[in-house]
Amino acid sequence: MNSTPHISAPRISPPAKSVGSCATYVFAVCRSDHPASPSDAHGHAGGGPLRLLTVGSLCAVVQDVPATEFSETALRERLGDAAELERCARAHHGVVTATTADGPAVPMPLATLYLGDERARAAIEENQESFRLALDRITGRAEWAVKVYLTQSATTARSVAPDIRQTPAPGPGTGPRPVSGRAYLDRLRSRQNLREQHRESAVAAAERVDRAVRELAVAMVPRRPHGPEVTGKDRTQIMNMAYLIAEDRNEELAATIGRLRASPDFDGIEIDVTGPWAPYSFTDGGDLAGHS
Amino acid sequence: MQGTRNPVPWQGPEATAPIGVPLVDLLDRVLGTGVVISGDLVIAIADVPLVRLSLHALLASVSERVPAPWADSGPL
Repeated sequence: MNSTPHISAPRISPPAKSVGSCATYVFAVCRSDHPASPSDAHGHAGGGPLRLLTVGSLCAVVQDVPATEFSETALRERLGDAAELERCARAHHGVVTATTADGPAVPMPLATLYLGDERARAAIEENQESFRLALDRITGRAEWAVKVYLTQSATTARSVAPDIRQTPAPGPGTGPRPVSGRAYLDRLRSRQNLREQHRESAVAAAERVDRAVRELAVAMVPRRPHGPEVTGKDRTQIMNMAYLIAEDRNEELAATIGRLRASPDFDGIEIDVTGPWAPYSFTDGGDLAGHS
Repeated sequence: MQGTRNPVPWQGPEATAPIGVPLVDLLDRVLGTGVVISGDLVIAIADVPLVRLSLHALLASVSERVPAPWADSGPL
């Protein structure tokens, strides 16, 4: 049936059969006394079993993956597709998380690939020192994401008189104008002031959160704040931070966040905490706590 | 093993965000973290434009699927 072999076929989706050509995908690097490769994660679909690649006093959790599916072009295409990107990210994260559950591990970014074990080994060897430093830094610690939002409901609920919000927008030929231009401008101004006040109090709240969490953390990294396409239009992200926190302080963190949430001046402020994460944000440092 | 590994022990009070926040956090982390070593291919893949492209693709598809509930709410 399949009779016309296209020499110049531009498609890059041959079945994953391509004999023998595998790339080495690195998920994480840990100390060589790490118990074993994680048994409850499977890595990327279509790849081989997870295994440990020993490099001196370090070892890496790796997987053989079909080179055709992980070539630069193929990856560009796949990671540009939302569903596929999510699948890859979750597969990657699954292995990283399973690895850190067994002991400290430095997570690699998505799609850290080598043409073979030897190349991977050489790259890790070359950076042994920074891996050891990173492992020392993260041992016994985990990453927490703390985000602070100002909710839309707070903005509107606290607005003064409702009629202000009903003031028609200025513009050529707008309908009847029940009030004088001056009153209208006053309203505009006071609305503007209100907005600024809300923003300022939200920023102050975020600073309070940061100060409180910072006391528990050994390091922190500010992260790219999310826009409304992520947060939803009814809230604005004021702060997006990652903190590296000792594992035995999880309860303190929970208590601190609980206290802040209950505080009366946090009305209309949302604090969003996720974790513990594998220390993705701290493999190359982060600001040390207390040195703000 | 169970409790400590749950990636999201606390959720915000309302799940109004159009996409699961943990996924966004996850992508921020797996795509945007500092590269400790350079791979044979990762240099080409982890460069900023591609990461942006990927996130754009994700966010665009998400907002198509889930229209924002507040059509005309202004900025803050």
